[in-house]
Amino acid sequence: MNRRIAAARETWKAFPGTLNAMEAFLAELGLRNGWFERAQDCFATELLLREMLTNAVEHGCRCSPERQIRCRVRREGNHLFIAVKDDGQGFEWRNAGARAARPSEASGRGMEILRTYATRFRFSASGNAVMVWKTIGREKNDD
Amino acid sequence: MTETLVTRDQERGVVCPGGDVVASSIPELRALMRGLISEGVREMVIDFSNVQMLDSRGIGLLISAHNSLRAVGGSLSVTGVCQEIDSLLRTMRLHRHFAVTAG
Repeated sequence: MNRRIAAARETWKAFPGTLNAMEAFLAELGLRNGWFERAQDCFATELLLREMLTNAVEHGCRCSPERQIRCRVRREGNHLFIAVKDDGQGFEWRNAGARAARPSEASGRGMEILRTYATRFRFSASGNAVMVWKTIGREKNDD
Repeated sequence: MTETLVTRDQERGVVCPGGDVVASSIPELRALMRGLISEGVREMVIDFSNVQMLDSRGIGLLISAHNSLRAVGGSLSVTGVCQEIDSLLRTMRLHRHFAVTAG
């Protein structure tokens, strides 16, 4: 089988806990520029990363530039790993997102997005760090 | 985010965001859409032709607009969505509540 395996690519960065700093990090990361061969992998990865980072900014850091977010994104071949950690108190993830949001509810879809697009994910005990693993080139339903 | 284009024809309003509909762009879009509804727009179309990313906050904005319009007898539709956003909206079961048209 003639199968091209992408070389390893990794970014690690710490930045202030604001949406502006988050957008600057995403622009610098450049997920849309050569990280992925398939549009759906690029979309899924950026969506997962945005959910993780936005939660860290809004809930962990309360949008404070005094607080800090640390993020690591690594792709090696078909394996993607994302880790996001913030300075905040964390949250009780064990009770979060147990049910799908009702269609009329304007919030509560972040956990459903993680469940849908990540191959697997894990929170730290206190809930201020989240890690995502994704198999690139396969939809979750293929697993 | 590049500029959002709005066209208005009596009760019909078309909002064409200049970039992604994500957490950082929500405040501007929310104010704009609320303004249109308060000015009498009842048929709102969100044109996603320039949108490559929609996150959960953006989904929340669409649902809020849909709820507000429905409360005054209006409707929301989303047009020009790329394949990935179409798939996301269907996965979240939102196509059952407002019209979604692929680009």
